[in-house]
Amino acid sequence: MASGSSAVLTGLALLSMTSGVIAHHSFAMFDTAHPIEISGVVKEFRYANPHSVWVVEVKRSDGTSKDWVLEGPAPGIMARQGVTANTFRPGDAFRGTISPLHSGEPGGSYFPPQIDLSNPIRK
Amino acid sequence: MSLRCTVGFMATAIVLISAPVAAQQPFDESKYAAFEGQWMRVGPIARYDQTKPPGGGQEAPLTPEYNAIFEANLADVAKGGFGDDPVYACILEGMPRAMNLILPMEIIAKRNTTYFLMEYLGMLRRIHTDGRSFPTDEPPSWMGYSTGKWIDEDGDGRYDVLEIETRNLKNPRTFDASGIPLHRDGQTIVKERLYLDKADPDILYNQITTYDHALTQPWTVLKTMHRERNPIFVEAVCAEENLQVNIGNEHYMLNSSRELMPARKDQPPPDLKHFNRPKN
Repeated sequence: MASGSSAVLTGLALLSMTSGVIAHHSFAMFDTAHPIEISGVVKEFRYANPHSVWVVEVKRSDGTSKDWVLEGPAPGIMARQGVTANTFRPGDAFRGTISPLHSGEPGGSYFPPQIDLSNPIRK
Repeated sequence: MSLRCTVGFMATAIVLISAPVAAQQPFDESKYAAFEGQWMRVGPIARYDQTKPPGGGQEAPLTPEYNAIFEANLADVAKGGFGDDPVYACILEGMPRAMNLILPMEIIAKRNTTYFLMEYLGMLRRIHTDGRSFPTDEPPSWMGYSTGKWIDEDGDGRYDVLEIETRNLKNPRTFDASGIPLHRDGQTIVKERLYLDKADPDILYNQITTYDHALTQPWTVLKTMHRERNPIFVEAVCAEENLQVNIGNEHYMLNSSRELMPARKDQPPPDLKHFNRPKN
């Protein structure tokens, strides 16, 4: 990546931390009409409010990989489904049906009615 | 001193002495309805009227002016915006929306105050049941100022109904996440009537009537909750972790490196005019 692009990205990231309004609850940015299935390896699981976060490394057919960021239910909902902060760990296999961003970027929402406790598959 | 004066003096003395003694008597919870415990809504999430579909399906009796505001909000959401839902920015739901119970609520009844502790957003309702009036100089708040009255409706010596009135509410508030608005004047009055199911003490009803100038008539809904016999308690701090970012009128998502990603195709980046441009 060119240094200019890096600088812009850094600037955007900084901007997001300082002047933006951190927000939640809108699902309008996700294409709920066209869900997709992804499978990969959990890199991070943040059991946090207002929405838990998965970072999943997804391998592409050309051998490269991309980190997908998924926004999911709050701990208050998942705790009552038997999910804990340790249910998903780095290195676990992950599969799920998600609603991707309209933009095509590697982000989406993962709100199954019930978290599948057979997922993750621990290695 | 005449006998009449003596009797009158003694009666007055007994009243003066017995009043503080009564106030010091232990709180007898057996005289109160068994509301204590953790309660969760019955039915779908995030709906003011649990019996109706979300959004326009709620059939809120909005005035034409506020129906237009609601429709504009729905149009914004359809385009990818956040609409008018203030909770997207972690503002408290406030009343009456807090009673939608996204997550469970714990009730704790004390002699002069009954507390509603909502897990979602850490909201707290304090219901004053000591007979006080509404204050005249209290700053408004999202949960409002609530007074309540315990009622023994069937005369069996045990209270079975809690009536609550809530005023002095702060804006912005909506009835639900779809953005059904309340009036900007903040003059909302919420009246509630809570009682247990006669056959099942693990079912709690709350009949809520909202009086608001955005409505053509008071809006009454009946909410049903079930008691959690094995409650768990989870903290819900909204500001903890968030991937969605709103800058100006645009909404972005953070990637795994916490950099902004566009949420929709051809979305413009944020305006960086106040930042130094990178030197090539």
